[in-house]
Amino acid sequence: MRIFLFLALLTTSSFSQQQSDFYIREEIPLPPGEVMEIGSIALMPEEKVAVTTRRGDLWICSGAYGDDLSKVTWKKFAYGLHEPLGMHYQDGSFLLTQRPEYSRISDRDGDGAADFFETISSGWGINGNYHEYAFGTPPDKNGDVWVVLCLTGSSKASSDSPWRGWAVRITPDGKMIPTCSGIRSPGGIGFNPEGDVFYTDNQGPWNGSSSLKWLKPGSFQGAPVGNRFHALANLPAPPEPTNKSRILTERLKFPEFIPPAVVFPHAKVGQSPTAIEADLSGGKFGPFSGQLYIGEQTHSQVQRVFLEKVNGLYQGAVFHFLDGFRSGIIPAKLDQAKGILFAGGSNRGWASRGGKAFTFERVKWSGRTPFEMLTMSANPDGFTITFTEPVDAASAANPASYTMKAWTYIHQSSYGSPEVDASVPTVKSATVSPDRKSVRLVIDGLVRGHVHHLQAPGVKSASGQVLWHPEAFYTLNEIPSK
Amino acid sequence: MILKPFLLICVLIPLAQSLLAQDGAQLYGLYCSACHGEDGKGATGGAFPPLAGSDWIEGNPERSIAIVLKGLNGPVEVSGKTYNLEMPPQGEVLGDDQISAILNYVNTSWGNSGGKVSAAMVQAARVKFAKRTEHWSAPELLKLFPLEKKETALKNLISRVYKGQWSELPDFSKLSAENVEEEHDGILDVKDSGMKDNFGMVWEGEFVAPEDGKYTFALDADDGARLLVHGRVICEVKGIGAMDGKRASRAKPKLSKGTHPIRIEYFTGKGTQALSLKWVLSGKKNWQWLSKPDTAQVRWPSIPLAPNDGRTAIYRNFIEGTTPRAIGFGFPGGLNLAYSADHLAPELLWAGKFIDAGRHWTNRGQGNQPPSAEKVITLTRERYLPAEASFKSYALDAMGNPTFNIGIGDQLFSDSWKPGTIGTLIRTLSLSGGEPVKIPLGNAEVTGAEEVTVVPGKPTTVTYRLK
Repeated sequence: MRIFLFLALLTTSSFSQQQSDFYIREEIPLPPGEVMEIGSIALMPEEKVAVTTRRGDLWICSGAYGDDLSKVTWKKFAYGLHEPLGMHYQDGSFLLTQRPEYSRISDRDGDGAADFFETISSGWGINGNYHEYAFGTPPDKNGDVWVVLCLTGSSKASSDSPWRGWAVRITPDGKMIPTCSGIRSPGGIGFNPEGDVFYTDNQGPWNGSSSLKWLKPGSFQGAPVGNRFHALANLPAPPEPTNKSRILTERLKFPEFIPPAVVFPHAKVGQSPTAIEADLSGGKFGPFSGQLYIGEQTHSQVQRVFLEKVNGLYQGAVFHFLDGFRSGIIPAKLDQAKGILFAGGSNRGWASRGGKAFTFERVKWSGRTPFEMLTMSANPDGFTITFTEPVDAASAANPASYTMKAWTYIHQSSYGSPEVDASVPTVKSATVSPDRKSVRLVIDGLVRGHVHHLQAPGVKSASGQVLWHPEAFYTLNEIPSK
Repeated sequence: MILKPFLLICVLIPLAQSLLAQDGAQLYGLYCSACHGEDGKGATGGAFPPLAGSDWIEGNPERSIAIVLKGLNGPVEVSGKTYNLEMPPQGEVLGDDQISAILNYVNTSWGNSGGKVSAAMVQAARVKFAKRTEHWSAPELLKLFPLEKKETALKNLISRVYKGQWSELPDFSKLSAENVEEEHDGILDVKDSGMKDNFGMVWEGEFVAPEDGKYTFALDADDGARLLVHGRVICEVKGIGAMDGKRASRAKPKLSKGTHPIRIEYFTGKGTQALSLKWVLSGKKNWQWLSKPDTAQVRWPSIPLAPNDGRTAIYRNFIEGTTPRAIGFGFPGGLNLAYSADHLAPELLWAGKFIDAGRHWTNRGQGNQPPSAEKVITLTRERYLPAEASFKSYALDAMGNPTFNIGIGDQLFSDSWKPGTIGTLIRTLSLSGGEPVKIPLGNAEVTGAEEVTVVPGKPTTVTYRLK
């Protein structure tokens, strides 16, 4: 019996990797008695972190970087805000995307509390419907802030609430520029390392599954519900896609219809994607520099996305990443210099696996590198997978170590979509690179426009580990020609 | 020796899984558990509707099929508790066999006893509701698929109806009843009176306690009611008022298994008549109704806002009677203001309590919240400043009192508010330059004037006086 237990222990420790080996997730204590349903996070100088709450407060946290989190202190900087879901600290002020407006709030008398609340733009409509969320970015390289405006209700756009279903840019002098149409229900917005803007859209009408979408200026994102507002600014009419079609079919008809860069298959990857945060830390947060981290509200997780551009369109793969947050994750912010990810959220109105009503957490990299798929990129005849650690050549070169399924979704006005047009591409060969850090898979049966679900449970590292997360979901908008 | 059974298990598990076309438990975990909980009790300690022991699960499974296919929006009462959320429709995502597997899992787990669901039943429901594009509402569903009729715990129930106009519960022993009926359904229903206004009812019967234990009774009414067990008053809803939970009364008597004489007294004046009485056995979660279920009202937990430490309270949210870009201010001294940043004008004024944030700060926060006062004075309803005027900012002084800054061309128009002597608010208007601006005050009763003219460089003060 004793020997058996010992063997069992040995087996687990040498073959299964756990999150706590690589990433240390800790709850940051919150001010007692306060309801801290966190909607946005901003990093400040001197290791201070600001958060806003859904109830409209702005708090500043000191000590969130410290070794001893019991020493954290909080100070309320502002109250009476309207559900801010985007925040940036700049020149001593906070730039906030609130439900009714984009604003700057400041402490003019220097007493540590906000006393001046400037409206920079309030160019969009709100009418009291809870669904009319507004998520905003920090300023982009031109100083403009991007705001994505959720539809009125799950699938409506009332005439008393203009620009719902659009992304707008706000210039520093307060001009609002409607920029992209076709949005349904965003959960977050952010930049990739190149500075292009992405948002997450949630499964529902005209969204067969949730996804990460590229807000290319002038683009249409697939949901025609808010189309009519183009007339308010003399913009060209956005496309009217055919109901019960496919995204590939429709976007080939309408070149301005930009397909989702990465689809997050419903329930398999998550149910409500939120924050988008690029890793620009140059390795301070582990081996995934240059990739995107995506918050997940329902599953209380953070996913990881690798993007590449093929034929002018973004596409790429989503991998499972961090799990076990205590509430639904809404905002996330990575301190790029220090390699600390701050994440917060709430499950008010939308449940989450993490059973707390709200949470504020930080994640640090332990310095140990997990054995993971690092990237998955498309080739004319398959995919190249790179790994964080050298692979065991025998298992990685065995085509039987991999399986693949592919499918797409119906593009339709009703809620969500089943996985349709399924096929089973076959892995014909797997060639390990001389440095054993990548494998080139030759695959029969790639399908343009489909999600390609790769499972690689048989692949081992040179030291005998199996993958921490042995699957990836690649959205193959375009098959490269070379 | 150790390896053999281990290997055997490894082989058996995949086999067993492949034998089942769809694994309901696994699908439930994937698609449903985030909200309804792995244990079926509703996520986050019951913040989301439970399926375990839910009265919606029992009996006709068509109800569950319909919900899963098309979703459910708005207030719904499950096992005595009201939820106000949105369940997204799953009909487009899940196939017939997946939905039947999930529902069969739910219907047979956690002590549930729902009917068996076949893929063909799901398919039939799809056809039946093919044209439906909206989520269901709970009342719609209950009309189509009423909940299983359950015997209540009341036996030998008799009702008496009395005519009269009272401000509190009368001594019914001194009155003679207009009507006496046996109520075989064991349900306390004020509609059985056949009357609308100014009447009272008394029910007498036996409460059948299923086991020895502590029982919780919860009573509420529009207007007054009391509950007597063994001739002793244990709950009382006093006086006149709405059935909004504010006067609700609870008691926790110990009862032995068996029958106990029970008496409920009720009266109503003009307007709504309603009575709700439910009970639950200590340690259990499922409330049982003795009255008609009280599904009409959605009650938010009350979160009243008020000035704190002499600082003016602020509520930036949707306030009834003004525009969506409203900012509410609750001043020390008991006067309150709602300013419209759409109309660049103060629009509502009220005395007393400020506002209840419960509607917007719990659940999803739908709709407009009225000020916490019976009497709200509307000052103006339209924009009155020139067309080029736009909202620029608001500033707060050290006590949290606001100044609204409006740009009019190149000029700045400032509109400051602070509490004056008790029952007054002082408004100061100033203009940096340009042409004088006429400001309608909207309600001469509170200011003594119809309008003021603001001249550049000369701040103008207006006092608002409320009784």
